[in-house]
This record gives sequence, C-alpha cells and structure tokens, in this order.
Amino acid sequence: MPVQRFRSIEDMNHAPVSPSRLPDFDRFLRHCARYWAIAPKVYPRGVFKFRTIEEAQKARAHR
Amino acid sequence: MDRDEIIRVLRAFEASGLEYVLIGAAAMGFHGLVRATEDLDLFVRATSENIERLRAALREAYEDDPHIDEISSADLLGEYPAVRYYPPTGDLYFDVLTRLGDAARFETVDAEIKDIEGTRVRVATPAALYRLKKGTVRAIDHQDAAALRERFNLKDED
Repeated sequence: MPVQRFRSIEDMNHAPVSPSRLPDFDRFLRHCARYWAIAPKVYPRGVFKFRTIEEAQKARAHR
Repeated sequence: MDRDEIIRVLRAFEASGLEYVLIGAAAMGFHGLVRATEDLDLFVRATSENIERLRAALREAYEDDPHIDEISSADLLGEYPAVRYYPPTGDLYFDVLTRLGDAARFETVDAEIKDIEGTRVRVATPAALYRLKKGTVRAIDHQDAAALRERFNLKDED
C-alpha cells in the first residue's frame, strides 16, 4: 500500500510500518549509508588507544 | 559504511580464525534493530595469538595499511584495552575491546552465529547486548537497551 491516509498525527504514529523485504543487516547498512550521505565526516587515520571505554567515547564526542 | 567493505572485513575475520564477538549498533542491526553508527565494535579474545589474527585480518582487508602494526598485544592485553582503528577507506572505524572494566570481556559475552553471504559472523545475543548497555551512562545506550528489552521481551534479570 504505497499511500496511506490518516485523520491525525496520532493515527499516523500508531499505524504499523510495512516490514522491509531486505535482510536486517542490509537495512542497517543502508541506514548507515543514508546517515553518511546526510552528515559525512572526515576521520583521522591510524590507531588510537584508550585506557577505558569512557575515554574512547569522550574522544569520539570531542572529535 | 560500505557493504562490500564490511563483508570483506567479516570474511577476513573468519578466514584468519579471529575469536571475536560483534557488539554495538552493528550487532543490533543483525538482530533487526536498526540505527545509524559510524563504527564496528568488537570484543576479541585477549591473547597475543588472537591479536595477531586481528592484525592479519585487517591487513588482508586493508591492503597492508602500515597503521595496523600499531595495534599491539602489549596495549590490548595491558594498559589499553580499547583500541580504535581508522582504516584508509575513511567512512568507518573499528573499536576493538579486550575488556570493559570488570564488567565484560570476550569470554563473558554470549554470542550466536549469523550468516551474511556465506560468511559466519559471531554476534552478541540480544540479552548480552542488553546487559552491556543497560548499566552505562550514555543516553544512546539507554535507548538501545530499551529497544532490546521491548523487541525481545527481556527482563531486568536478563
């Protein structure tokens, strides 16, 4: 059903979403690709090491 | 995150005999919970032989990128249990962990095997992901934990 009509945004939010025919991991990869297309980033190169996962997460947040 | 690149890396992991378990958003993706991420997170078994397998797999996938030699057993088995590798392709990175404080390590994360194009991928189970995420401080982890709990009907004791 390509087009659905709703009387309110609440009805729209409660409507079931059609399941994708793609395998789960492919849906994930496509979602990441869309995200990258909208917000591409420039990463550094190489290897960085951290004493804790919190340290690693902080480095990511401040990049 | 390029599909061919990911499959090439996962294939190299399998071919090298790397003992790993995929965690994080990519693992959630395998379980049908889709959100965007920039990285692949994995626990690896903390032995020097296994770290060598990791280096071999990454060299295979990334044409002998010289930076891969900077991933060392001394670090991952010692003071630096978290290593981030940015490959030359430039649109994703890897967070490699040998332990998460005292909370988790390769041996404590329950995993199941998924298949992608004939490649076996070792992925943390939904319950294992839930346990990893529910106790952390990041908002995104709380959202992931809530999504896992709802989708897989998990309880707090899981």
